[in-house]
Amino acid sequence: MEHSELVQLKLNIETSVGESTPTEAEYGGPLPLEEVGVLRLDKNAIDLNNVSYRYPNSVEPSLRNVSLTVKKGKFMVLMGSTGAGKTTLSLCLNGLIPQLLEGKLTGQVCVAGKNVGRTSIQSMSKVIGLVLQDPETQIIGRTVEEDTAFGPRNFLVPFNEIKQRVNEALEKVRLKGYNRRLTEALSGGEKQRLAIAGVLVMEPGILVLDEPTSELDPLGRLEIYETLDDLRRNKDLTIVLVEHSSQEVIRKADEVVVLNQGEVVWRGVPSELFRNILLLRKFGIKPIPVSLIGWYFYEKRWISLAQIPLDIPSAVELIRTLLPKYGHWQGNEQGDEHVLKQVMNWSEKAIAVQVNDLIYQYSPGQSALRGINMTIEVGQFVAFIGQNGAGKTTLAKHFNGLLKPTCGEVIVEGMNTLQYDTSYLSKTIGYVFQNPDHQIFSTTVEKELEFGLKNAGFKGKEIKERVDQVLNYTGLERYRSVHPFSLGKGERQMIAVASILVLKPKLLIIDEPTTGSDWTGVQTMMGLIRKLHAAGTTIIMISHDMDLVAQYAKRVIVLKDGEILLDGAPQDVFTNEQILLDAAILPPQLCGLSIQLTDILEHETFIEASEFTAMFESEEKPGCL
Amino acid sequence: MSIEYIPGDTLLHRLDIRVKMYGFLGLIILSFIFQDPLYQLFIVTLTGLLAFWMKISLQKIGRMVAPLIPIIITIILITGFTFAPERFGQASNQAILFYVLPGNRLGATVGGFLMGTTFTFRLVSMMIASSVLTLTTSIDDFIQFFQMMKVPVEITMMLTTAIRFIPTLDKKRQLIIEAQKARGVRFNNKGIIGSIRSHLPLMIPMFINSILMANSLSMAMLNRGYGLTRTSTSMRQIRFSFKDSCAIAFFILLLTSAFFVRFKLHLGVL
Repeated sequence: MEHSELVQLKLNIETSVGESTPTEAEYGGPLPLEEVGVLRLDKNAIDLNNVSYRYPNSVEPSLRNVSLTVKKGKFMVLMGSTGAGKTTLSLCLNGLIPQLLEGKLTGQVCVAGKNVGRTSIQSMSKVIGLVLQDPETQIIGRTVEEDTAFGPRNFLVPFNEIKQRVNEALEKVRLKGYNRRLTEALSGGEKQRLAIAGVLVMEPGILVLDEPTSELDPLGRLEIYETLDDLRRNKDLTIVLVEHSSQEVIRKADEVVVLNQGEVVWRGVPSELFRNILLLRKFGIKPIPVSLIGWYFYEKRWISLAQIPLDIPSAVELIRTLLPKYGHWQGNEQGDEHVLKQVMNWSEKAIAVQVNDLIYQYSPGQSALRGINMTIEVGQFVAFIGQNGAGKTTLAKHFNGLLKPTCGEVIVEGMNTLQYDTSYLSKTIGYVFQNPDHQIFSTTVEKELEFGLKNAGFKGKEIKERVDQVLNYTGLERYRSVHPFSLGKGERQMIAVASILVLKPKLLIIDEPTTGSDWTGVQTMMGLIRKLHAAGTTIIMISHDMDLVAQYAKRVIVLKDGEILLDGAPQDVFTNEQILLDAAILPPQLCGLSIQLTDILEHETFIEASEFTAMFESEEKPGCL
Repeated sequence: MSIEYIPGDTLLHRLDIRVKMYGFLGLIILSFIFQDPLYQLFIVTLTGLLAFWMKISLQKIGRMVAPLIPIIITIILITGFTFAPERFGQASNQAILFYVLPGNRLGATVGGFLMGTTFTFRLVSMMIASSVLTLTTSIDDFIQFFQMMKVPVEITMMLTTAIRFIPTLDKKRQLIIEAQKARGVRFNNKGIIGSIRSHLPLMIPMFINSILMANSLSMAMLNRGYGLTRTSTSMRQIRFSFKDSCAIAFFILLLTSAFFVRFKLHLGVL
C-alpha cells in the first residue's frame, strides 16, 4: 500500500491534469462519483468528500471523514484548537498533501473543478493561492517586485504582462509603489501582505490563508484584516481563513467551520457559534468578552440565546435594560478601598527593578529608549504594552543584562547590570523568549531542563530534584524523556518556561508567552504564570493581547517611541482612550464597555466579566480581581 | 576583496554586466601576456585610476594588500631563486646576482626577481579590478549574468534564495544567542573543545530552524508554481546601449594594440 502510494505521488508530480487515473486500490477507498462532482462544480469553489489524512509516522489521523463544500465568492473561516487539523486541511486544498507531504490520504478533494490528487501543486496555484503562517519564509525575492513576479515567471507570462500584474497585485494589498524596496527591510505586516500579493498575482479564484496574522503584532494584524476587507469587496474571490481571533471572525465570515480532532464538528453563521459559550469551551475557542456577561443573563433565564450581545453597543443596551430590573448595584466604595489597599502593599515591599534615566542607542543618534525611570517592587505583576518598536523588549533585555545602558543605570535585585554579565544574572532573573524553538536543543525534555542548571554550576542531586519539581509544576512530567520537537508548539513553549523556572528566578520576564497558542494553551500558560506570581515571583510580561493584560496584570506600563506613556493599574490605564489611541493600542473590550457605562459605574472601570455580573448578584459578593 | 556593493550612478554602474565581465576578462588577458614589470605597472596604474574614479580610498586598497605582503615576499623570493637563466630572452635578465649554496647552486637571477615583481603586480591589479567590479555591480546583475550564461535555473535560484536569507538567518542567530545567554550560556569558552561545546546550544537550534524554514520555503515555492517549467520569464530586458558598445570598442582596441606590441614588436617580455 505504502509503495503504491509513493508511485502515485510521483505520478502526480510528474504528470499534469488527469493523465493518470488512479485505480480503486491506489486511491485507498471507493472512487467517488465523478459526475456528482462535475454537477456541483459551477457553484462550489471547494468540494471535500469524505477526506481523511494521516501524517507519515503518526498513529492518529489528522483529518477524519471531512466533507465540506464552500460556495464561490464566500468567506469561510476555519476555527478550532491547535492540532484540530486546520493547517492540514489547508495543505490538502492545493495538493501539498499528498504531493509534498506523504502519508495516507483518502477521499476526494476537488478545488475549482480540479481533482487535487491528480493535478500538480504548481498547476493548482493558478486556481488556489495559499498563504502560510510565517511571512518570513514565503518571500523568495530580494526586492518586492522580484518576489511578486516569482509566480507568473514560472508560468512564463510575458515580461510586460508580469509588470502590469505585479503592480495590480501590489495595489490590492496596499503595497503600491513598494516595487524597488528590499524585502528584508519590510515590517512583519508588510511581509505578510507581500506574501498575499505573491499568490494573488497568479490570479487565483480562491485564496486560503492559514493563520496569516499569528506571527504579527496588532498593527500588522490590522493591516492584514484591512487587506482582507478590500479583497472581500471583490466578490469573485472565495476566501478560506484559518483564524484564532474571535472578534475579527465575527465581523468577516459568512460561515464558520469548526474542526476538532480532525473532524468537522460545527458549521454555521458565526453569531450562532459565538453566542453558545458551552460550545466554544468544548472546542477551545476564545469567547468574545461581552458575550460572557450575556451568557450569565442567559443562564439566569433573563434573556434568550439570540439576545446575547456580541459587541459593545448591544451589551450597553442590554445592561441598561436589565439593571433596573435585576441589578443590585450600590456604587463602588469597596472598590476604592481595594485599590488603596493594594497601593499600601506595594510601598512596603522591596525593590526588584530600579531604572534610572535609562537611555539606550542601538547605533549613535538612534535612541531606542529615551530616559526611562521606573521602579518595580518585589512581587508585582507588570505588563509592558505598546507597538512593535516602542521599546518593550529593548527595556526588558536590560533587566538581565543582554543589553547594557548607553546612559543611566539598571539595578535588578540589588545588582547593577553594568557590573554583571547575563550568565550571572540568569541565576536570579529569568527571561523567556517568544519563540521556544530558538533555545531548545536537547534530545529530551529532561536534558533541556538540566541545561540551565549545569550552566549555573549545580551538581547531581540538586539538579535532579529541581528538574523533578519543575516537571511536576508545569505538567510536563509525562513528557520527561520525549524529544521536545515531537511535541506541539504549546508544549514547547511550556518547556521554554520550565527551562527557566528550574533556576528559581526571583524575577521572571516573559516575552509574548501566548503568541500562536490557542485558547486552551493561553489558559494553561497564564494559569502557570498566575501560580508563580502567587508564590511571590515578580512577573514582567510583554504582550499584545490586551484582554490578557487586563485580566492578569496588576500594573500596566505603556511604551511609545522609547518613552513611558502611561503607568498604572489596568483599570486606570485602559480608560485613557486618547493616549492609548496615540500609542495605537485598542483597550480590551470590557474596558470599552465600562467607558460606555460610566454614568452607571461612577467612573469605576471593570476589566472582568465577573465584575459586571456582580452588579446583578443578589447576595453581597465583592467583585474581586 | 570586498563584496559590498555601493549603489551609485557612475558610468561603471550603468554599464551592462556583460560588458563589465568582458572588460574584466580583457584585463586578465592583458596582464597575462606581458612579463615586464614596467608594463604591469602600467596596468596597475590603469586599475588604480579606475579605483580612484570610483572613489575607493587608497587606505582601503592598502588594507587589502597589507595581509598579502608575506605572500608577495615569498613569491618574489621563490621566483628569484627558481627561475633558471635560460628562461629569459634578454641577456641582462640572465645575469646571476649571487648563489645561496656553495658550488654555484641556487642562483638568484635578475629576471627571476623581475618575474616575481610581475606576479605581485598582477595580483594587485586583479584585486583592485575585482573590487571595482563588485562595488559597482549589484547582486541582481550578477545573477542576471549567470542566467545569460545559461547557468541552470536551479543554481541561480539557489544563489538568490541564499542571498535573500542571509539577513534572516543572521537575525535568527542573534535571537538564539540571546535566548541561550538568558539560560546562562557563555559563548567565549577557552580551547577548541570548550568553544565547540559552548556553540552546540547555538548550532543545534540554528540547524533546526533552518530546516523548518527550508520546509516552509519549499511549500511557498511550490505554491507559486516553481518547477512547473524548466525556465522562467526573464525580468530584465537586455539593455545594450551606446555606451556599452563604446566600452566594448575600447576594450577591443586596447587588447589589439597590446597584442601588436607583444607579438609583433616583441616587447614586454623578459
